[in-house]
Amino acid sequence: MDTFSLLLNGFGNALTPQNLAFALIGCLLGTILGLLPGIGSTAGMAILIPLTLTMDPAGAIIMLAAIFYGGAYGGTITSVLLNIPGEGESAITCIDGYQMTLKGRAGVALTTAGIGSFIGGTVATIGLVIAAQPLSQLGLRIGPPEFFSLVLIGLALLVGLVGRSVLLGLISACLGLLIAMVGIDPVMGLPRFTFGQAHFFDGISYVPVLVGLFGLGELLASSGQAATRPKAPSLRELVPSRADARRSAPPIARGTAIGSLIGLVPGVTSAISSLIAYSAERKVGRHRHELGTGAIEGVAAPETANNSHSNAAFIPLFTLGIPASPAIAVLMGAFLQNGLTPGPTLFVEAPDLVWTVIASLFVGNLLLLVLNVPLVGLWTRILAIPYSVLRAVIFAFIVLGSYAVSNSVIDIYIMIAFGILGFVFRQVGLPLAPLVLTLILGPFIESALRESLQISRGSFAIFVERPLSLTFLVIAGAILLASVLGASLKRKAGLPTDAEV
Amino acid sequence: MTTTRTRLLTALGAGLTLAVAGCAQTGSTSDAGADDYPSKPIELIVGFDAGGPTDIGARLLATELEEQLDATITVVNEPAANSQVAYTSVSQAEPDGHTLGTINFPSAIITTLQESRDASYSRDDFAPVALQVVDPTAIAVPPDSPIDTPEDLVQAALDAPGELQATTSGVASNEHFALARLKEVADADIAPVHFADGSTAATTAFLGGNTDLLLANVGDMIPLLEAGQVKVIGVMTQERSPFLEDVPTFEESGFDVDISSSRGYAFPAGTPDEVIDQVSTAIREVMEDPEFEEKMTAQGLAPTYMDAEEYAQYWDETEQVFAELLPLVEGDQS
Repeated sequence: MDTFSLLLNGFGNALTPQNLAFALIGCLLGTILGLLPGIGSTAGMAILIPLTLTMDPAGAIIMLAAIFYGGAYGGTITSVLLNIPGEGESAITCIDGYQMTLKGRAGVALTTAGIGSFIGGTVATIGLVIAAQPLSQLGLRIGPPEFFSLVLIGLALLVGLVGRSVLLGLISACLGLLIAMVGIDPVMGLPRFTFGQAHFFDGISYVPVLVGLFGLGELLASSGQAATRPKAPSLRELVPSRADARRSAPPIARGTAIGSLIGLVPGVTSAISSLIAYSAERKVGRHRHELGTGAIEGVAAPETANNSHSNAAFIPLFTLGIPASPAIAVLMGAFLQNGLTPGPTLFVEAPDLVWTVIASLFVGNLLLLVLNVPLVGLWTRILAIPYSVLRAVIFAFIVLGSYAVSNSVIDIYIMIAFGILGFVFRQVGLPLAPLVLTLILGPFIESALRESLQISRGSFAIFVERPLSLTFLVIAGAILLASVLGASLKRKAGLPTDAEV
Repeated sequence: MTTTRTRLLTALGAGLTLAVAGCAQTGSTSDAGADDYPSKPIELIVGFDAGGPTDIGARLLATELEEQLDATITVVNEPAANSQVAYTSVSQAEPDGHTLGTINFPSAIITTLQESRDASYSRDDFAPVALQVVDPTAIAVPPDSPIDTPEDLVQAALDAPGELQATTSGVASNEHFALARLKEVADADIAPVHFADGSTAATTAFLGGNTDLLLANVGDMIPLLEAGQVKVIGVMTQERSPFLEDVPTFEESGFDVDISSSRGYAFPAGTPDEVIDQVSTAIREVMEDPEFEEKMTAQGLAPTYMDAEEYAQYWDETEQVFAELLPLVEGDQS
């Protein structure tokens, strides 16, 4: 049978009432789990594994996969409505998403995120169906040196993120990098900046840092009288206008491309995809000067990218048997429990199951859309709660979420400390985006750099000798150069250089 | 629905039995309170993230153990610092048998040996209960490599010292120790490339052709082997792995290299012996169940039970081996 009829067959199985019900339960459960920062879909899936052992393999895997998506969308809801990043991957969405909420456009932001996720996820899954093998080989070509150069592009884009003042932007970026350096040195094995606390040996986990900076920082800042409070949109304001749709289309396309490409590289979190997609908008988007003030592109691009990343991450699992992310590793566990080893042989050993699962990825994406878009109205009702009450709920929520990261009180202290810092940032006008970028990219840059240098035995030539790495370096260089030239042109034109570098 | 009802009934029945047993023993002088064990929910502290292999193994066991011990077991993940945080909690917990911890080798050993980690516990702060899994380290090469056996590998390393590169899942990981041991016994100089992000990053780099050798646990090798991505040339145990019957061990090729990662359970030191016995026996009973064995084998984990005494001895011996190799491992950090 050819691929198409196998896939059709798969749809037949995925659409049985029973499997559809499992997908529905999974999506809902995932969304609810994703709402609480600190408890991601991975933990939810892990806890449910013993339960799924009694179910039939297809149903179990469909439900777990649905939890996986739902979790990502749950994080978006809190990012947009309450400025609390549920997971790293939706942290950057806070910046424009919450500004949209303040303008009463929360519904539009959530609907756009849902549609973008659907498109990104579906395109990545189509990639899985038609070109899984070649795509996974592409993913493998990104070794440590290539990855280092790729992340440098992300850093070069940072120049676009710094906002009004280069100096303030760099302060924020350096602080992020400094936090990222805490932990045991990856090559020497000695602790750095840990104050002797074993809790910091693996580095400071970024969820409490981000939850503090965004969530608590916002709570403190809005305690004054003049601050804007979020308001619940009316029903008519839930639907994106034609202008919104037109503006969202290019960032969704770019986000899809970025997410599906980076998702192919095993071991890279989807947070990186959403960060790079956001940075790219800051550089090339038509409305880039509006980003940071509640532009729809700032929601559409990262949300699309992280979902297409999550779906593309299935490709290394099905073709190489490598679990590309912790959540996928849990799914792989579910396959193994049922006596199936993920990898290319699975297509021969259990084609029915594989194609059912692939079909369910399409169905899951669609379910997430049809489930969440109508629910957007319900979610935004959260904002109708009097702010004095909501504030207390938010505080309880972020304290619980920080604790849940590793069941440790220390993470609550970290969250509070960074909450105060976030308040200071807002008062002196320091941008948060560069810090988020360097905090999340930092550890990846470091390990990629040091792995590359171990492979090359200390020679930096490895970065220019490998063609793909060289290409990425040239792109990063071009972006930097363009920024510098752009700045000097502005200077000649008599514009302030720090206007929008 | 039926399962819930049966469970309720069992619980009720067991409760009654306990109550009767309790009445019968009111006169006796039980000191450690082992008779009414477990008297409250047992906390199982897992030192790694939910969803990881240690966590999944522990959750599978906990579900079965609940029925065996007729207790509620709550799995608590305290992932940080290669389990050091979790080991600290376990070693400082009340030794009444209601706090159980997962113990992983080499992390439980390394964290105490490395002075820079300043661990507040040592081997003596734990009362080993039972061993659940031994997952040996294995070496793989690309399928078209001329290297087929441990002898070929050692010869290749002797011909070009320091030229071959191998992945490890971090500094002082079992793979790193394996390379140090290989150098010690066979003078085979293989350069480590440390992937601190763990085995996924290491595997990806190997498959992309960035290193010559992949070092990983047998459990992680199986999917790659079935996908035709690797050729496993040797396993670092005394006996051949049941998953890789055709692959020679380093031992039988004349190289005394025996390195594994393993997972077991321990109480804090001072827990009454009766309690340790009771839980250790319960774990044995769970592991003897063919259905449970099948579940573990499906995950690529070879169930290897050791009782409290054997496990304690295994712990001491492994600690000895790693303590001897530590200077070699710390020496080659450049």
